[in-house]
Amino acid sequence: MMLEIILKEVREFLRDKTNLFFFMVFPVIMVYLLGNLLSNYDNAEEAIGTLTVHYMIEASDPADVMAVESFVQNLTDQENIIFEKTGSLDLSMEMAGRDEIDAVVLFTGSPMEIHIYEGMNRIRNRSVNAMMNGFSQINKAVKVLAKNNPMALADAANTGDSGSGFIEQKDLGIKRTMVDYYSITMLTMLSFTSLMIGSICFIGERQDRTIRRLKIAPVSQVKLFLAKILGLMPQAIMQTTLMMVLNTVLFKARYASNLIDNLYLFFMFFLITFAVISIGAVYGLFVNINPMATIFPVIWIMMFLSGTYSKGIFIDGVTQLMPIYQVQEAAFDLALFGNYEKANTVVLVCAVTSIVMLVVGAAEFRRREER
Amino acid sequence: MSYVYVENLVKKYGDLTAVDHISFTVEKEEIFGLLGPNGAGKSTTLNVITTLTDFNKGEVIINGLDIRKDKSQIKQIIGMVPQDIAIYNHLSAYENVKFFASLYGLRGSRLRKNVLEALEFVGLSDKIKEKPKNMSGGMRRRLNIACGIAHDPRLIVLDEPTVGVDTQSREHILNSIRQLRDRGATVIYTSHYMQEVEEICDRIAIIDKGKMIALGTERELVSMVTDVKSIYVETRIPAGFDREAFCKKLKLMPGVKAVKAEDAVIRVDVSIEQNGTERIIQEFLNHRLPIDNIKSEVPNLDTLFLTLTGRELR
Repeated sequence: MMLEIILKEVREFLRDKTNLFFFMVFPVIMVYLLGNLLSNYDNAEEAIGTLTVHYMIEASDPADVMAVESFVQNLTDQENIIFEKTGSLDLSMEMAGRDEIDAVVLFTGSPMEIHIYEGMNRIRNRSVNAMMNGFSQINKAVKVLAKNNPMALADAANTGDSGSGFIEQKDLGIKRTMVDYYSITMLTMLSFTSLMIGSICFIGERQDRTIRRLKIAPVSQVKLFLAKILGLMPQAIMQTTLMMVLNTVLFKARYASNLIDNLYLFFMFFLITFAVISIGAVYGLFVNINPMATIFPVIWIMMFLSGTYSKGIFIDGVTQLMPIYQVQEAAFDLALFGNYEKANTVVLVCAVTSIVMLVVGAAEFRRREER
Repeated sequence: MSYVYVENLVKKYGDLTAVDHISFTVEKEEIFGLLGPNGAGKSTTLNVITTLTDFNKGEVIINGLDIRKDKSQIKQIIGMVPQDIAIYNHLSAYENVKFFASLYGLRGSRLRKNVLEALEFVGLSDKIKEKPKNMSGGMRRRLNIACGIAHDPRLIVLDEPTVGVDTQSREHILNSIRQLRDRGATVIYTSHYMQEVEEICDRIAIIDKGKMIALGTERELVSMVTDVKSIYVETRIPAGFDREAFCKKLKLMPGVKAVKAEDAVIRVDVSIEQNGTERIIQEFLNHRLPIDNIKSEVPNLDTLFLTLTGRELR
């Protein structure tokens, strides 16, 4: 029965030309248009310049000390990174606070912990974080991020954080373009506009008058609800896959630098789409008004404020509150720096949201009488 | 025991009592009609029987199963043809019927066989690949029926299945309903088209404002109001013809209740049971009275509804 419902949902989706356009073709066109035609209006790159980092080793294990020394030596060999040993942690932190150096890193304890005292420039902070992240993964160290200067956060916002993911990662050998930027923001757009698919799945059954036929069938109401939602999953997979593949093949867009990160990025967006579809489905149970006229405009405004259409748009105190912005941040962190921290949070929030929505939706669907 | 047993059914929506202590039974292989104007409570009654809506009071037993306790078993034997066309526009006729039949656990060759039979039954076997949006209103109605009967239900509930269809499709649908009954199904049929109900239903319940106002066969219902039909004969009475004597003679005929002459028209009220139309015409001819025009006025369900409620059915 579940399979029949899933197949029915897929057939309907693939045969509805409006759906196909809005959820398959439109986002890809947007990436092309925004990424190429408007690229002159947006600055895709930000030069990092030379990074100056002070460090101190307080680790007790000789193996850890050797690992740190070796790591620092390797980095110092690169022209644009200066690692200097400091004798006074407090003095170095003050320098970071005055923007004289970019960060202070303390290697301490056993097992070794890495404490990063960030400086004023968030983009540079990210670079330092990415480096330390790589080191901690190799050495199984615990990374502790400390904000030694609260002003750094505010400053980071003022640097135009929506575009902060678009620094030139010379160490990764990737020169980022606006197509890359929009290939991620449009993926976000696609995920959030899936709210339509979710809500229409029940509003549409009501409009077609088929919901009563479904409800009188000898099938558990909970199963029926879940089957309807699961029936939308192939669409979520299809649209995310198609978007990533087409953007990569047609427009040479780059997401993450390796397969694992790309797969996790795909997984994250799939889960976001699933959560959004679940929210839409519950909306469709309670409200019989087309979401195109109700919550859809709200999502478009949120996308606008989140810099989905232009990385130059950032309103301090507003943009950071947008879930769409947080998703984009997580995606950029993952794609550009291989940083999973925010992506994990997004995955967790989406998983919890999906479960809550499925429980609420199933209970409501079971309880609800269709008149 | 009756196949469907409904006792003192009450369904309220807030302050509105949509169904108010309705009781009826439907026998196996019977076509049972629910007749009433829009908003009378027919669809709500059907929604309760089809397990779609819970009710406030009363008892509903179908095939010996209590609707509250054995809902899933009852769902298995019910086929619903809703008033609105409930089909998916992006699926073909075959896919639509197959999808709904599969919800009842049909699989494989049996599923295919039932789907094709259902489409053939409603006369759409040559349209199996057609999408509903390319079909006429009548064909969509028939597809709507196919979706409700493909799983071979024992109790078929049809809620105004002929709304907005052309005469040809309507006839096809009514014949199909008779055939379903002949194949062993029990049918509950609602309509506000009196003629349809008279034509196909074995027994009829008339509902108004949530209450049942009459129940019985068509003849039983009509006889609640009158058992007489009027025959109007327009003739030319020759000079010297004794009209009074002729009328007296007519009145002595079996079943004739009253005779009244007005100018060239003679009205004869005759018992429906006796149905003496032919004999009356013969009597006119025996007296060499030419018949220019004849019409018969038979009381119907509309007359009954009008008598009981003071309003017309539609």
